[in-house]
Amino acid sequence: MKKITIYLTPLLAFLAVLGFLYTGLFSDPRDHQSSLLEQPMPKFELPDLMNTQQTYNQDIFLGKVTLLNVWGVWCITCAIELPYLNQLKQEGKHIVGLYYDQDIDPDFGIKTIERVQQEVTDKLNQLGNPYAFNIFDVKRNLSLDLGVTGAPETYLIDQQGKILLHHIGDINPRVWNKKFAPVYDLLAVQ
Amino acid sequence: MRVILSAIIFMLSIGFNVQLLATQDKFQLDEPQKTTLFLELTKELRCPKCQNQNIADSDAMIAVDLKRKVHELVKKDYSKQQVIDFMKQRYGDFVYYKPPVNPMTIWLWLLPILFVIAALVSIAMSRKRQSPEINDEQLAKAEAILEHEE
Repeated sequence: MKKITIYLTPLLAFLAVLGFLYTGLFSDPRDHQSSLLEQPMPKFELPDLMNTQQTYNQDIFLGKVTLLNVWGVWCITCAIELPYLNQLKQEGKHIVGLYYDQDIDPDFGIKTIERVQQEVTDKLNQLGNPYAFNIFDVKRNLSLDLGVTGAPETYLIDQQGKILLHHIGDINPRVWNKKFAPVYDLLAVQ
Repeated sequence: MRVILSAIIFMLSIGFNVQLLATQDKFQLDEPQKTTLFLELTKELRCPKCQNQNIADSDAMIAVDLKRKVHELVKKDYSKQQVIDFMKQRYGDFVYYKPPVNPMTIWLWLLPILFVIAALVSIAMSRKRQSPEINDEQLAKAEAILEHEE
C-alpha cells in the first residue's frame, strides 16, 4: 500500500502540472477586465471630431444604452471591425466613436485637425459610418482615464452612464453574441 | 582619408549628443528628487500593451502616454503611492509590477513556506519510523549470531 502511494505521487504531481499548463494554453494575457467596470464614465470635456466648436461631457451618455468604440484610421483592425459595427447600427444600436490620433503627439504636435478630419471622412465614406458622432480625444486623456491600451476597444455604457463592459480587440459576431448580447439584451428590456 | 574619417566621427558624435539631449528634455523636472521619483516610477510601472516591458523601456504609444501622465503627476507633487494608485485605478493591479497581497495572491508567499514545512515534516516522520524497526527482534537475533560465533 505504501509503495503504491510513493509510486503514484510523481504521477499525480505530473498530471497536476499538466492540467495547470494546459489551461494556460487558452488563457489570454491581454484579457484582463478593466478596473472601471460598474463605475460611472470619467469626467471629460472634449470636442466633436468633425465640428470642434461643439463639446461633449460625460452627461451625453445618460438616457441611452451606448457602445463607445475607441478607434483611429491608422488602426487596421478598426477598419476590419467597421462593417460589423455598421450592421449593429442598422439593428438600431447607438454607437459613439472615441477617436484618437497617433500622430498628434501632445509633446511634438505636428498634424493639423483638418488633415485628421479629411482622413476620417475618407475612411468612413469608403467603409460606411456607424457612429452617431465622434468624440475627439485630443490629448488621449479620456483614453487614459478609461484604461484604454490601444485600438480597437469597446465599452458598453448603460442609461445611467455606467460602464458595464470593456472589450479589448475587435467586435465581431462571435464576441457580440458571447460577451455583449447577454448584457445588452437585458438593458434593452429595461 | 583622415579628413573624411574625422568628419564621420564628428557627425556621429553630434548625432549621439542630440539623441541624448532629446530623451532628457522630453520629461524634465526641476528638482532632483522628483527626477529620481519619475525614473523610479517609470521602471516599476508596467506597459499595458507590451506586457513584459516597463513604461521606461517601452516605445508603445500607451507607454509614452503613461510616462507623460507620471511626469505630470510628479510635477503636481503627487507622492509615489498616489501615482501608483492613480494608475491602478485605471489599469488595475496589473499595471504595477509588485502584486498586492490578497486572498488569491497570498499563495505566492505561502506555498513555498508550506512546501518547506511539509518536506521537513515528512523527513522527520520517515526518520522516526525507521529507527524502531531495527531494534528488539533484530537486535536479539544479531546478538544470538554473535554469541554463536564466539
